[in-house]
Amino acid sequence: MTNAEGGPADAEMLAGNTVIRGTAHLKRRMAAAIALGMASMLLLYVFSLTMGAYSLSFAGAWDAMVEIIKNGGPQSTDAKVLFFSRMPRSLCVIMVGAGLAAAGAVMQALIRNPLVDPYITGISSGASFGVLLFTIGGASLGALVNANYVIPVVAVIGAIAAFMLTMTVAEISGGRAMSYVLGGAVITMGLSAGTTLITSFNIDELHSVSIWLFGSFADLRWEQAGIIFFPILLVLLFLLCNARSLNKMLLGEEQAHSLGMNARTYKRNMMIVVAALTALCVAFCGVIGFVGLIVPHLTRMIVGGDHRMLLPTAMIVGANILLAADIFCKSALSYVELPIGAIISVVGVPLFIYIMAKEGRKYAM
Amino acid sequence: MLSVSEMRFGYSGEDTLKSIGFAVGPGEFVALMGPNGSGKTTMMRCINRVLKVRGGSIEIGGDDVLSLSLEDLAKVCATVPADASLDFVLTVRDFVSLGRSPYVTNIWWDSREDEEMVDRALRDFGIAGYAGRRLSEVSSGERARVLLAKGVVQTPKVMLVDEPSAHLDIKYKIQVMEILKKLSRKGLSIVIASHDINLLTRFCDRVMLLSRGRIVGYGPPAEVVTEESIREVFDIEVKTVMSDGVVYVLPTGSTMDLDL
Repeated sequence: MTNAEGGPADAEMLAGNTVIRGTAHLKRRMAAAIALGMASMLLLYVFSLTMGAYSLSFAGAWDAMVEIIKNGGPQSTDAKVLFFSRMPRSLCVIMVGAGLAAAGAVMQALIRNPLVDPYITGISSGASFGVLLFTIGGASLGALVNANYVIPVVAVIGAIAAFMLTMTVAEISGGRAMSYVLGGAVITMGLSAGTTLITSFNIDELHSVSIWLFGSFADLRWEQAGIIFFPILLVLLFLLCNARSLNKMLLGEEQAHSLGMNARTYKRNMMIVVAALTALCVAFCGVIGFVGLIVPHLTRMIVGGDHRMLLPTAMIVGANILLAADIFCKSALSYVELPIGAIISVVGVPLFIYIMAKEGRKYAM
Repeated sequence: MLSVSEMRFGYSGEDTLKSIGFAVGPGEFVALMGPNGSGKTTMMRCINRVLKVRGGSIEIGGDDVLSLSLEDLAKVCATVPADASLDFVLTVRDFVSLGRSPYVTNIWWDSREDEEMVDRALRDFGIAGYAGRRLSEVSSGERARVLLAKGVVQTPKVMLVDEPSAHLDIKYKIQVMEILKKLSRKGLSIVIASHDINLLTRFCDRVMLLSRGRIVGYGPPAEVVTEESIREVFDIEVKTVMSDGVVYVLPTGSTMDLDL
């Protein structure tokens, strides 16, 4: 067919001579970002292994890691320190960073607004509230079963319950992105009040409660890492397989429907998956906000909005940012470890305000 | 190609679409015309099953639309909205390639055939030059062509087009209608809803006049669009003028009954 404008440039296009730039440049950017991200993640990972009371150089940590891989376990003292206390922690940081970034990117696509994430919509608070209830109130249950296995379960239940509440509030108030933000804020306030009440009756538990409120990877060992590592990995792979469908959701429910998907059901199911992923991420380390908000936004600036490129890149970027933040928390002060959730928020709040001021008007709030 | 019979729909209580029946042949370009709230968009949303009808039948190419899977329905019926969401940074190419979604079997990248089809559509619609640009960075007129290109790569039998030119200037309004006319001459059945009566009478083969959820006229523009029918349906005085065999409507009446 011919083009109605009929200009020379269009004639050239119709003759089939135009080189279509397409998205090859974005694919190259994604490949570069992932390659660089993997390399920096490896360096940060080894660097993070050097941190702690027991002194280890970068080369020493590297050698110890190689020894663990070669022998299938630690033999030297260096390798034992790494293997039993530092490796599981850093692996968890990587998985949680990737998981929170992916959860944010997926939630933003489903609600069609880049100003939401699991933290803002109350899901993270729901998960941590579930864990708090269990750790403080469920001591007798904890004596019967291994708490490490129960914690992710109660986190998932808390997250999904909080998500259901937020979704109900948001949908009855119009279902717009702002409804989710306000609904999430209200639910978070409610959960925060619940946390304060529970804590006030269990003042002895104040220290452990503060860990959940501010986020910390300090106490993670293989027992916890083993429980969340593979479920998070599986959910991340599942989300990658859904990249195309998430692209369709960007067009809105009605257009996604006309492209052959039951958008309403898909959205509900995927929100539950996101809630479960968030719950697994915060189950052992407490609430860490803003990663799910900031990382997808930064990543979109590099590779665009196609989820086939956005999701894998955001996972790598999220892992790097959280790993760097964890290193900072461990090394900033010699006498105490800073709470990572609070540190991320210190950076995240001004960034969120910047994004909101710059882009907020564009979105259907 | 598209056959609708005894179709009824209502949000709650009374039917808002009442016993709708019509047929659109292969390659026919049909206009839905009617005042706000007459049921134009609702009818389209019933045909593509965004809304669930209360009764009746809808067939496309002999297939029962109501029993097709949504994916199979998307292969025979494409919907082109008035505008695209600009909230996210999809490129023009990404956006057009979403039209291939019902056919995609690869879990990740597009197949070579799909990519070639998208490239061809980008060239055909004159948007190849900015295929790598973000959708938010192209003009409204260009975006209208992007939306149509997405519908075309869906390779449907029927295309439902809702208010495609509402936000366009006159040049792009005509461009969109010319594109649709050419697509229909290639065999695609097109149903378009618009408030631009004169564009519809100039380009469409048949006009369906809707009033309060009923079809009150269906046929060639010159037969359906008359001073009486427009007065009846839109409650406004008009004059009709014939030019080169096309009927045009000139509004002459007033709606002003307020004492301001």
